[in-house]
Amino acid sequence: MRPPVPFPDQIRVHPGPALLSGIERGPSLAAHRSQHGAVPRLDSAALTDVVSSVGLRGRGGAAFPFGIKLGAVLDRAGRTRRPVVVVNASEGEPASSKDSALALTRPHLVIDGAVASAVALRAQEVHIVLPGDRPPAAAALRRAIAERDDPVELIEHTAARRFVAGQSKAVSELISGRPNLPVTSWQPEATSGVGGRPTLLSNAETWAHVGLLVHHGTAAYRRFGTSAEPGTALLSVTTPGAVPSVHEVEYATRMRDVLPTTLAGAPVLIGGFHGSWATWDTVASLRVSVPGMRSLGVALGAGVVHAPGHGTCPLALTVRITDYLASQSAGRCGPCLNGLPALALALHLVLDGSGGRDRVEELATLVVRRGACAHPDGTVRLVRSLFTALPGEVSAHATGGCVATGPMERLAS
Amino acid sequence: MTRQLRVDWPACQARGLCHELLPEIVDLDEWGYPIVTGPVTDDLRGDAATAVRACPRLALRVVG
Ligand code: SF4
Ligand code: SF4
Repeated sequence: MRPPVPFPDQIRVHPGPALLSGIERGPSLAAHRSQHGAVPRLDSAALTDVVSSVGLRGRGGAAFPFGIKLGAVLDRAGRTRRPVVVVNASEGEPASSKDSALALTRPHLVIDGAVASAVALRAQEVHIVLPGDRPPAAAALRRAIAERDDPVELIEHTAARRFVAGQSKAVSELISGRPNLPVTSWQPEATSGVGGRPTLLSNAETWAHVGLLVHHGTAAYRRFGTSAEPGTALLSVTTPGAVPSVHEVEYATRMRDVLPTTLAGAPVLIGGFHGSWATWDTVASLRVSVPGMRSLGVALGAGVVHAPGHGTCPLALTVRITDYLASQSAGRCGPCLNGLPALALALHLVLDGSGGRDRVEELATLVVRRGACAHPDGTVRLVRSLFTALPGEVSAHATGGCVATGPMERLAS
Repeated sequence: MTRQLRVDWPACQARGLCHELLPEIVDLDEWGYPIVTGPVTDDLRGDAATAVRACPRLALRVVG
């Protein structure tokens, strides 16, 4: 099934203050070295220091503190258990473009972050997982890898073309030579990942921030953002009729500043297909912040800002996304395999005004935390957020109407 | 920490034996997959161990 928001064949990358500064000089290793210098050598204590003192969080969606993950890997690592470093650039979320943006413009900053960490951890391998659905980004990363000359081995893999292929256990499975699907996690990757070894696995944006930190230190990093949340974040912004764009913004930037004023009033999907709907009033009040947005119930996630605009029914779009997410269940876990299609079916009834609301909540409760990965949980988050943020749209459909488009919006669009 | 019964979802094939052996903390959903409704208390440890051994798919573990 094709995703309701297609994988972009083109993206617009705006220059930014830190990660995306100097992109006009191109992605070559020579340009990168003249801007940032050689990969500095840090030991594990110095690495822990820089990432922890700025409170770096993972940028793949869960916003887990990178320093804690690093600590868990170090705890487990030893002479007999050499750790493994993984760059996850698989970006299976169609509405996200930020890891592609880095692949196309800053691949060496990403790789430097991973290589410096591998050296600090005495790892011998850096595995780089390329996106299966984004040929230009994959090709850009391959070109970058071919230019490198590092003291550790860089090994490339290509993710399966599936929404859940980028889930961390699925990535460890891929690297271990098994199908690129999630499996039950009895222990975190940091403790037992690739081949049972302690594994420091993060997405491309996280590694680019590590790259900046090891090259230029924490003082430079703190020039942006706030004292509580230093630095910048990448946002993938999709708006009607425009090429998907990637913006690097400082923490505490107003969310509405990355959206055209013509979209004022229309709801926005924050965080992608596993994210949350927000009304325009909420969006207008948001500042980019992990804890700040979390407290308002609209997690930043991996930084996706999908604004379908006036004239697209958010309920109809949620139905299409849920259909797609149901088709992307790896089909292994019974509650997900059976529950997500049933949930999608119930949502169709809500859209048609023929009931289904109680069934939606019943199924939502039934599928959460009952799978090998968080795919059911993310799907439920999306669906529940629609009911919470846009109840007017849901009740309009119960009587054959539609706030966004008038009475006739159906799945055909 | 309390002991919990955990299901290896990709392995579980909804045979329902766990519910037969441990109805106190295992219900079945509408498709026949287990719903774990509570922790493995001390008096259930023996039955939980039996269920773990009996699951035809080796899909159960007691963790914690
Ligand atoms: S929860 Fe769903 S998507 Fe995740 S592994 Fe199981 S079947 Fe696949
Ligand atoms: S006995 Fe095993 S396979 Fe059967 S339902 Fe329970 S966990 Fe699943």
